[in-house]
Parts: sequence; structure tokens; C-alpha cells
Amino acid sequence: MKEIEDLLREGMERFTADLRAPAGMTGRAEQRRHRRLALRSVAGAATALAAAAVALVAVEVPGAGSGGSAVASAAVVKRVDNALNAAEPGDIAQMAVTTRSVSAFGGPAVTTTAEEWSYGDQWRSVANSLDGHPLYDEGSGPASVYTLVNYQTRTWARQPGLGRPAAPAFGASSCKPLLAGIPGPAGSLAPRPLPGQAKGRSVPSLFQPGLPGIGFSASSPPATVARALRTAVSCGSLAVAGRQRVDGTEATELTSRPGSLISETVWVSPGTYLPVRVVVSSGTGVRLTANITWLLPTAPNLAKLTVPVPTGFRRVQLINAVIPIVQQLPGKQEPKTLCLPAPAGSTCQRVSAAYGAGLAPEGQP
Amino acid sequence: MAADRSTADLERFLAERADHLLRTAVLLTGSKEAGEDLLQTAVERLLRRWRRFDGDPEGYLRRTLCNLATDGYRRAGRWRQKERLLRTGVRPAQDMTGDVDLRDALVRLLLQLPVRQRAVLVLRYWEQLTDAETAAILGCAEGTVKSAGSRGLARMRELASDWSDTAAMCGGEGKQS
Repeated sequence: MKEIEDLLREGMERFTADLRAPAGMTGRAEQRRHRRLALRSVAGAATALAAAAVALVAVEVPGAGSGGSAVASAAVVKRVDNALNAAEPGDIAQMAVTTRSVSAFGGPAVTTTAEEWSYGDQWRSVANSLDGHPLYDEGSGPASVYTLVNYQTRTWARQPGLGRPAAPAFGASSCKPLLAGIPGPAGSLAPRPLPGQAKGRSVPSLFQPGLPGIGFSASSPPATVARALRTAVSCGSLAVAGRQRVDGTEATELTSRPGSLISETVWVSPGTYLPVRVVVSSGTGVRLTANITWLLPTAPNLAKLTVPVPTGFRRVQLINAVIPIVQQLPGKQEPKTLCLPAPAGSTCQRVSAAYGAGLAPEGQP
Repeated sequence: MAADRSTADLERFLAERADHLLRTAVLLTGSKEAGEDLLQTAVERLLRRWRRFDGDPEGYLRRTLCNLATDGYRRAGRWRQKERLLRTGVRPAQDMTGDVDLRDALVRLLLQLPVRQRAVLVLRYWEQLTDAETAAILGCAEGTVKSAGSRGLARMRELASDWSDTAAMCGGEGKQS
């Protein structure tokens, strides 16, 4: 057997083999430096709110990039003003997510629904069966304790330290793509292709809640989400397509560029620029619709973030709660090894995906 | 006397070495996005002093990457979030269902090590620096590098030993729980 140092070196080589540094690093570094200098010059002379407004403009206007224009910039400035003057929105994002996945892996279409809540570092996601019963309920509470309840196997698991996934590192103040990837069936525990992933590979979206179709974790403060959308408009990755009524409320419709690999429509509240509905479709046949409500952090609303463990459910190791769910992922896949954190390091197990009772493909009982 | 370098010089240097530095940054942070952020921040720092910079830019960037990864950069909220994930081994950009072999398992374990221990192993076995060079970059004693490196490797040997036992038992299919 090879020395461990050699194996590690080979592993590192392999892990980073496809990486290429993005072009224009020097230009971006210069841009950021100029912005920083510009901000420094105005910060001392302004009130806190005025400084914040200037900062938003200073960040967004020079970064308008390919699709940016003076008109778009002016529109952004106006929206910033509107947003700052708008009534404070709620901080808890509550989402009802419906996903229709058409044979991404060769199987028939699957429609799933999920409810998700997110507030700061806390989040919860409940995946439902076609008849509306919970299949599994997962979430991370205070102190990053992750809980998963599997209703089909009547088991549950808790793992401290998992916390919330990293917010995608783009969106707020750059013109990089806005999309984080398409959430898969059930809005949570399903493959979500991510930008830059090798073709044909997928990542289980367990531990990956977030505002669907938007390159931001739902834990992002509403202002950050709104700013990301404004930036996307100023960059040209989303365009204002008009006004529409969504659930009886007027909303601004934003659409992705024609011909985009992933097509996206986001309806935002004109006052706050917060998303109220997102529809994302990919060329692989996944279509996701999320209706989003922003709730105030009242006690009843905060209670929605807690994953309840029903009486009589058996506690198991995390991997043993996860495996039965992974085995229900749509599509026929070759057996894979799934590794998850465990109290003593990580635990790995071979699994193969097959259809289960909960995530029934369309046309099958 | 200090050189008077142009931005074009920096661009030329990055065109040649940025890919390798990005790979180092990704190994230090655990994800492509975080690695790109880290390298971009280091390039900004270099740019600030580039005109009068008189030294080895690659060495400077490597040192800045390590310093940012082990110290200052973690103050950023985004980094804290990523770091928490790295500790648990759950990374959104990583394929957890992909075929796993021992090399992949070792890299996953590397990404779960404390950031300083990880930096030592990256510098020693990826950058192939000596203990003394690694200590100089991390600003610590050579003995600290040696002990951090051997602790990290010891954990990896344990994993490798478990792995080979289980693979022999299960026909090479990896560790079963």
C-alpha cells in the first residue's frame, strides 16, 4: 500500500484537478479598491442611513458589468430609496415549494411538495407526500443542532454541529450568476446541480435549504436578498418584465435572459423587492415553483422553525435516518457510498436509489 | 531598490500561477467559491503594494492565503459559515454520493481538520514545502509544524487502516457502518 502522504497528495491533486482561476482577478481587485476608497471618503460625512444608501449605490453602479446601463443604475438607486423607505418586512421566510422533476436520471416524472422556513441561522424543511402527509422533517435549531425526522421509518436523528449550509458566495454585490441551482424533488433531499459541478454529478440537497432559484441562503437578511435581486437587475441577469398580481397582490415580474440554460421568473414586491414567487425551470426537466411569505418573528412564527419529534419514534444514527430517504430519490442510480458526520468522525454506507412509497412517480401508485 | 511594477506584470504573473494558487486556496477552504474569494482577497492585498513590491509574489500570496485562512478571514461572516460546514464535512459544492475511494476520503478528512493543521498538511504535501518553510509561512515554530502535521497524518492513517480492513471485508466497497 502506498504511503499515506502520497495518497493524500494524489487526493489533493484529484480534488482540485479541474480548477481554473477566474479571469480578471486584477481588474476586480482594482475595482474593489476604488470602491473602498470612494466609500471611505463619504462615510465620515454622512449619517448612518445616508452612508448605507451611498454604499449600496457605490457597490452596485460600478459593477453593472455587461448588462449594466445608466438607466438601470438610476432604477436601482430609486429602488434602493424605495426599499429603505418601505415598511420593515418580516424576517422569517416561509416557503411552499412544488417541484416537478422529469426524468433527470432516466425515471418518470415526480412531483413533490415541501414547506420551508428560515430565520437567521435556523431553518426547517418538511417534505410532503402527494397526499400531503409529511415524509420527513429536517431542520437546524439554535446552536447548529440538526434534527431529522423520517415519518416513513418512524425514526429520528439529531446531530450537533451541522448548522446551516454556507450561503452561496455570490449574488449580493457582484454580477456573477444569481442561481444557486435547482432544488430537486421535495425541495430538500434531492440532487441539485450546482454551478461548476462536473457534468453528471449531483449533490444531495439535504442540509441545503435556501431561497429556491436565488443564489442566497434563506438565512440571508431580507435586505440582502432584495439587494441581490436588485443587483441581478442592474447586471442584466434579470430583466423587469412588467407588473402582475400574485395571490391578489401587485408584484414586479423579473425574468432571466432569453436562452439562459436555467430559466427563472421571480415576482418581487415592488416596495421591498423581496421575492413572493419564484419559478425555475432547467433543461433537465426540473420545474420548481416556490411561493414565499415573509413572516414577523413572533412566538407562533418562531415555533414553526422547530422540528417536532413525534412520540414513539425511535432515535437512530443520522446515516440510518438518511439512507431510507436517499433510497427514494427519483431515478435509477448505481449504488453509491454516502458519508455523513457521526459523533466519532464520519460514517459511510453503500446505498442505491429506487422509488419508494412516498415519492411516487407520476402514473404509478 | 524596490521595483516599479505595472498592473500588466501582475496580470502576467497571475496568468501563470493563479491556477496553482487557486488549488491551494481551495484546499485551505474546502470549496471552489471560498477558495476563489480567498485568492481574490489575497490578490487585492498584493495589488495594494504591487508598484513597490520587491519580493516573490507567489510566496507573498501563499503566505497571505494561509494567514487569511487561519486568522483574519474567518472574521468574515461568510467564512464562519463555511468553516462550520468544513468542520462537519458537509459542503454544498461537494458530491457526497459520488464514488468514494481512500484518496477522496483522505481529502474529506483533511477538510475536517482544524484549519491550522490543515494548512500545515496543504503546505507540506501539496506545496511540498519543508517544515522550516511551512513554519515561516504560518509564523510558528518548526516543532509546531511537525506536531500538527504528525497529528493530522495519524488521523489519516487510522482512517486508511479502517478503510483497508473494511474494503477487504466488503470486497472494496468502502467503509460500512
